[in-house]
Amino acid sequence: MTAANPAPRRWSRFRYPDTLISFAIQLAVLVFIAYSAVHLDVKFERLAELFSRVWALLAERYWPPNLNLLTTPRFLRAVLDTMEMAYLGMLFGVLFAVPLAWCSARNVTPSRRVLYPAARLIVMACRAVHEMIWTILFVSILGFGMLAGVIALTLFCIGFAAKLFAEEVEAIDPGPVEAIRASGANELQVFVYAVLPQVRVAWTGIVIYTWDVAFRAATVVGFFGAGGMGWYLQRYVQQLDNQRVAAVLLSIVALVLVSEIASAVARARIARGS
Amino acid sequence: MALTVAPGLGMVLRNRNLRLLRAAAFAAVIAAIAIVCLHQVMVVDTDWARLGGFAAVMKTTGRFIGIDWSLLPLLVVPVIETLMMATLGTVVGAILCVPVIWLGALNITPSRHLAYPLGRLLMTVSRSIHEIVWALIFVSAVGLGSLAGILALAMRSIGFIAKITAEAIENVDKRPIEAMQATGAGTLQVFRFAIMPQILPVVLGVLIFEWDINIRRSAIMGLVGAGGLGLTFHRQMVMFNWPGVTTVILAILALIALGELLSHHARKAVT
Amino acid sequence: MAILEVRDLRARYSKGGREILKGVSFSVEADDFCAVIGPSGAGKSTLIRCINRLVEPDSGSIVLYGRDVAQISTRELRQTRRHIGMIFQEFNLVNRMSVMDNVLAGRLGAVGTLRSIVKLFPRGDIERALAMLDRVGLIDHVDKRADQLSGGQRQRVGIARALMQDPKLLLVDEPTSSLDPKISREVMTLIREVAREFHVPVLCNIHDVQLATEFCSRILGLQDGVKMFDGPTAALDRRKLDEIYAMEVL
Repeated sequence: MTAANPAPRRWSRFRYPDTLISFAIQLAVLVFIAYSAVHLDVKFERLAELFSRVWALLAERYWPPNLNLLTTPRFLRAVLDTMEMAYLGMLFGVLFAVPLAWCSARNVTPSRRVLYPAARLIVMACRAVHEMIWTILFVSILGFGMLAGVIALTLFCIGFAAKLFAEEVEAIDPGPVEAIRASGANELQVFVYAVLPQVRVAWTGIVIYTWDVAFRAATVVGFFGAGGMGWYLQRYVQQLDNQRVAAVLLSIVALVLVSEIASAVARARIARGS
Repeated sequence: MALTVAPGLGMVLRNRNLRLLRAAAFAAVIAAIAIVCLHQVMVVDTDWARLGGFAAVMKTTGRFIGIDWSLLPLLVVPVIETLMMATLGTVVGAILCVPVIWLGALNITPSRHLAYPLGRLLMTVSRSIHEIVWALIFVSAVGLGSLAGILALAMRSIGFIAKITAEAIENVDKRPIEAMQATGAGTLQVFRFAIMPQILPVVLGVLIFEWDINIRRSAIMGLVGAGGLGLTFHRQMVMFNWPGVTTVILAILALIALGELLSHHARKAVT
Repeated sequence: MAILEVRDLRARYSKGGREILKGVSFSVEADDFCAVIGPSGAGKSTLIRCINRLVEPDSGSIVLYGRDVAQISTRELRQTRRHIGMIFQEFNLVNRMSVMDNVLAGRLGAVGTLRSIVKLFPRGDIERALAMLDRVGLIDHVDKRADQLSGGQRQRVGIARALMQDPKLLLVDEPTSSLDPKISREVMTLIREVAREFHVPVLCNIHDVQLATEFCSRILGLQDGVKMFDGPTAALDRRKLDEIYAMEVL
């Protein structure tokens, strides 16, 4: 025991004002949730019964799906269109994302005052706007068709990939960067020789991930007029042709799952190879 | 010495050339596919005549510039409802996650060969189906309105929340558990003092993260009739009120920015 | 009378694995600071963990204060563990919890389940925790998160937690392996002091023979699950040390 400073007898778990503020915030969140539930008329107690009702309804209405539709050449063309849009969206999205990621990474951006905030802003703008809103905007400017879809998907992918790319760049070992800089290289050379080799593997994974989200979005952009399978979805929903709607939905889900499995395999191969 | 070095150097050069060749071939394939796709999009699919040229396109884009100030007071309720939808969607999703997490975490799953793959499959399916698709399903099942949106967001959120939580449970540090057991604590106490403090921050963090993403998603639920700002957006579009459309988009961006701010600080406080 | 009497203890580290302890017998007296030394794989850690049955022994008896720990039921085991304090190699603290809560956790066995779930520990426990933290020199860090402390400080929290139990026996598993030499000596000094102060015998697994001979009153030498030496520190000479470590390949 320290004689000069005997053990204090007072200790309380509740510290003012921290504990009070923390409690107030938690209470506010709970009140907001409760109020939302009341305002939007959502009854939690009936959740279980709701789901069984939903399941029964869907089973009755959407079964059996009209699978004939899936083999028509026009639908298959639409599937191919979807893949093409997703491919272009991913490709151009990733290509534009590389310089944007470089500029929006705090540690290696070539210009902290101008390019860094600008790049951050562009990436944020691309990410904040939902891909469906981009789609609707470009459809209204460029008309129906794949062009609007590709541009919308590209913008979406730019935002998606650039953020993830930049996160990887910000996590690299500063050693090689310092070394290359010290040898008198310009910023672009620093990027190519010190940054890229370190993030190569992670970035490849991100590109595959971008394909996944691009394809998933591409299947739906047609709903808002941008070409691909989604257009059929919209048409049959409007016509209340539930069996065909079910067929399109099933094909969308199946294709996305296949794509995800392929991506997972590709990612595993890369992880093993590195 | 020169004799032993030269063949080695030759091999290095050959390997390097091979790698460059492989990279070039890869790039060529990528470009070839891109050209095929571009052809389909730009040549086959696009009716350039109707677009009318660059000037016409710019004019159309110009229509969106401008804010419809009269719309602002009408946006207050949809903005709040969008926020509510995102919140409830996350909460319901978290509740629905519980069985999925139980199935999909290796150390607590009842069966490694059946239940565990099922759990992971449910997580994948949840994430693979686009929120618009979920919304269409639920609008069809429970009708137009925010309930469909909430359920759609919930189903979409399950995948990520369950995945992160299951991983946290699988990676729990066993050492504090051992220490609590050594003091003679009961099972519930071990859970409360050794396991919960490790998992709770992760769970809260992912819930806040998903809530933030759900704000972005809930803004468009209304496009298919599932409530929120999306409905306002749709109305402005069909009324051809282009500045109105821009105003709604700005409102959505503002809401998302607010969400990101709250989410950033909340996650810092919790983790 | 011996506090702890171990007879013919046999154990495996995991089910179906090879036998780690091959019939070890020894006893620990009231004022002992007993070090268990030996090469890697000798079974030192397994031996310590068998005493409070974190590792289940295959056979043998572990008699603590007249009760055979190896035979008792799970519920009785929990009660017995309340009186055995344990200090771990990697501190085994709950990193996100405060130092205070980590120390209070030492009393979980004694506090009712309901009270502990809401972290409502009795005033007496809180005062005792403050006293323990003062004793180990961490009174200024009471509300810090455990992961904000240095290694040496974390081990001291672990010591305070063990002392909270008012233990009848202290089990110590490699207390200094994760610490640098200077901090290691401080920790060993602290353990020796508090053991004397609170009259608790210590059974300590330690791989640093230097520290063992300097701080401990008795040495237990293990090699390949078999006891090779059992006596006061003074009796451990070079030759006997070589015997214990004979199999170790550097």
